[in-house]
Amino acid sequence: MPGTMTRFFISAATALSLSVSAGALFAAPEGVLRVAVGADPETFDPHFNDLPTGNTVDKLVLEGLFRLDNQNNVLPELAEEWGFSDDGMTFTVKIKPDRVFSNGDPLDAAAVAASFNRLLDPEVGAIYRGLYSSIGEAVATDDTTVEFKMATPNGHILLLLSSTTATIVNTKAIETMGAEYSRMPVGSGPYLVESFVGGERYRLVPNPTYQGDYPATLEAIDFLVVPEDGSRMALMETGEVHIVERVPPEAVETINALPQAEVIQPPSMFSINMELVLRGPLEDPKVREALNLSLDREGMVQGILGGLGTVSVGMVGPGTQDELRRTYDPIPFDPVRAKELIAEAGYQPGQIELTMTCPTGRYIKDVQVCQAVQAQFQAIGVNAKANIVDRGTWSNVAATPPADRTDNMALLGRATAGIDFTLFRLFSTGVSANTTGFSDPKVDELLLAGRSTTDIDKQREIYGEIQDIIWDTQPFVFLWYQKQALGVADSVSGFEVQPNETMNFDQVRLTE
Amino acid sequence: MFVLNRLAAALPTLFIVSLLVFWFVDLIPGDPARILAGPMASQDEVEVIRDRMGLNEPGPQRYLHFVGGLFDPDIAVSLRTGRPVATEISERLPNTLIIAIGGLALGVILGTTTGIICALRQGTWVDTVITILTLGGISMPIYWLGLLCIWLFAVHLGWLPAAGAESWRHFVLPILAVATRPAATFSRLVTASLLEVMGRDYLDTARSKGLTEAQVILRHALRNSLVAAVSVAGVQFGAMLGGSVITETVFGIPGIGRLLVDAVSRADYPVIQYSILMFAFFFVVINLVTDLITLWLDPRMRQNVRAR
Repeated sequence: MPGTMTRFFISAATALSLSVSAGALFAAPEGVLRVAVGADPETFDPHFNDLPTGNTVDKLVLEGLFRLDNQNNVLPELAEEWGFSDDGMTFTVKIKPDRVFSNGDPLDAAAVAASFNRLLDPEVGAIYRGLYSSIGEAVATDDTTVEFKMATPNGHILLLLSSTTATIVNTKAIETMGAEYSRMPVGSGPYLVESFVGGERYRLVPNPTYQGDYPATLEAIDFLVVPEDGSRMALMETGEVHIVERVPPEAVETINALPQAEVIQPPSMFSINMELVLRGPLEDPKVREALNLSLDREGMVQGILGGLGTVSVGMVGPGTQDELRRTYDPIPFDPVRAKELIAEAGYQPGQIELTMTCPTGRYIKDVQVCQAVQAQFQAIGVNAKANIVDRGTWSNVAATPPADRTDNMALLGRATAGIDFTLFRLFSTGVSANTTGFSDPKVDELLLAGRSTTDIDKQREIYGEIQDIIWDTQPFVFLWYQKQALGVADSVSGFEVQPNETMNFDQVRLTE
Repeated sequence: MFVLNRLAAALPTLFIVSLLVFWFVDLIPGDPARILAGPMASQDEVEVIRDRMGLNEPGPQRYLHFVGGLFDPDIAVSLRTGRPVATEISERLPNTLIIAIGGLALGVILGTTTGIICALRQGTWVDTVITILTLGGISMPIYWLGLLCIWLFAVHLGWLPAAGAESWRHFVLPILAVATRPAATFSRLVTASLLEVMGRDYLDTARSKGLTEAQVILRHALRNSLVAAVSVAGVQFGAMLGGSVITETVFGIPGIGRLLVDAVSRADYPVIQYSILMFAFFFVVINLVTDLITLWLDPRMRQNVRAR
């Protein structure tokens, strides 16, 4: 089959793997890196994990056909050659030969297909199955060839296959290990999980059978789970850990003042917005524009988020397929013009009443953000009320169909690796995550066209147009993209974090 | 006989708690399946999860399933990890018990000692200082106290680790923090009950037998406060188990409290339900043990029980 493949990525792949092996004169693994994380991953099974801390481990312990680099670009990992059939309904991947899992089981095409078919099996109930529904099934045709039989054409398949959700699990080991597999997954990555003490810590050590391009650089990586912000920061202050994640805005200065560490602020793809329910006054574009003009975003980012944000320049956040992403000028802060627009739309000051639903503790300073937004809406004569609720209520409101919503907007963050996934679910008419009621026949048409094309230039054009329409019609009050904040000791080099908040230890060295 | 009666009386309590715990899933705002699936999930995905959680079955059947889980660990599995809830709990219970028992023991020792000192040195500066400290100990929220302990002993002095549960040293600060409240309570209690009996004739009798002052206090005067102390200890121990939610979060210790908090935030209902049921069971057991000890200590009560 490879002969009939359209090999549109192969030359790039060869160039990349060359550049990687050039750096492959690796020294022996050295040092024990200690990392304090804020969230307990609970499961490393990539089909059930939904936390960046879990993704981080999956990336170290399992291998995918592809993987993402620090800018979320797609690189081959187990894949050697790949391409679509002419009708776009079969995607064939040739994998590197003679690979094994850390327990010695062969990692051949059959193992790859079994891993994907587990992800796609409704009985298994993998949490991101819906994201992969364009793949019908995976079939191994020989030892190194896997064919993905598409249910519907999908021009974004490389992105799907490079997510940690699509890393290869050992289904035979799952059968024998049962639920224990979720804490001690058997993979083929550079590390393996040596121990896992639920809720407290887990330790990764080099996998002796690893054959890929990113061999272990550390003797061990110890992760400590410390949910309480103050205690986690204390671990950094005492020097008990080298890296601490989720530095709260108020602690950034303290960590930076330490002689041995500093805070890094990598961008996050998390795009935070007030998603409007498009009915009543909010059906009027002038009102939506007024709300967008009423906010001092930069002031809120500095004053409330402590700088842990970047004002929005487009709906999708940075790192969401940057090759397809379009950015615009930030929306100005112009309350005078906002008031005029409200009057032009035919409303008296105080006549528009809006309720916003806000979560507590889901996004950086979400409660304070909502209160500030409410005050600024009121300043332009919109009678706004912030309804601050627990996570359960908030999830429920955010999932309610637009016709049944009793509020007018909700504070929501969106982060998915793909532009198609983000935009299709939010802006296609009538799909379930479209809780704003946004409906535009042109956008519907473009979204379908974008999904089925495999031509990158065409995709760029199509998704560019969709993003233009969304930025112009303003179905959201756009806010900002969150920034991550991690404390990193000076003794650590080569540490990076992806925009999807997955930590990357490929090049990490410890000098002490 | 008394023990059997009490055990029999505990069963309805546990039954009612189990009903409440089961029922509360329906009361929690939001749809558990939706919370687990996240806001980006489609309705179909939510349906699959709802099915997997068994939420589509009728109420009584779900309750039977829930109760069945108490006897068959393979039925009661965490929605997040797929492991039996019994395993999750048994892995973490020791940490919680170490802190609760350690904290209570330290609290009793500290509290009794300072209480005796206060009673003997009533009105002196020692008494005043200890009284102020105990008032502080009773009023100080454990959350704040825990962070202060970390700041002082880990960050500032560097004597002990700030968080985690890797070695015995990690347990020193949490035990110290949770011991504060029982220590303060005991101190006040012992002082009060000693002062009450100090002038009594039976102590003079003891002295006249030639006992030293220490023997008089420890053997005779203190015994009087024991009954009250035991019931207070029972209450404190229960409060500590409940308070473990906070202690374990602050000190990054994987115990039952943390398990419960994490389960709540991840909408892992089986873990929430069985953990709460276990807490209820502990309270019942603690009450029973407290009653038994009281009975053993106080002959008058023993007679009451027999008379019944």
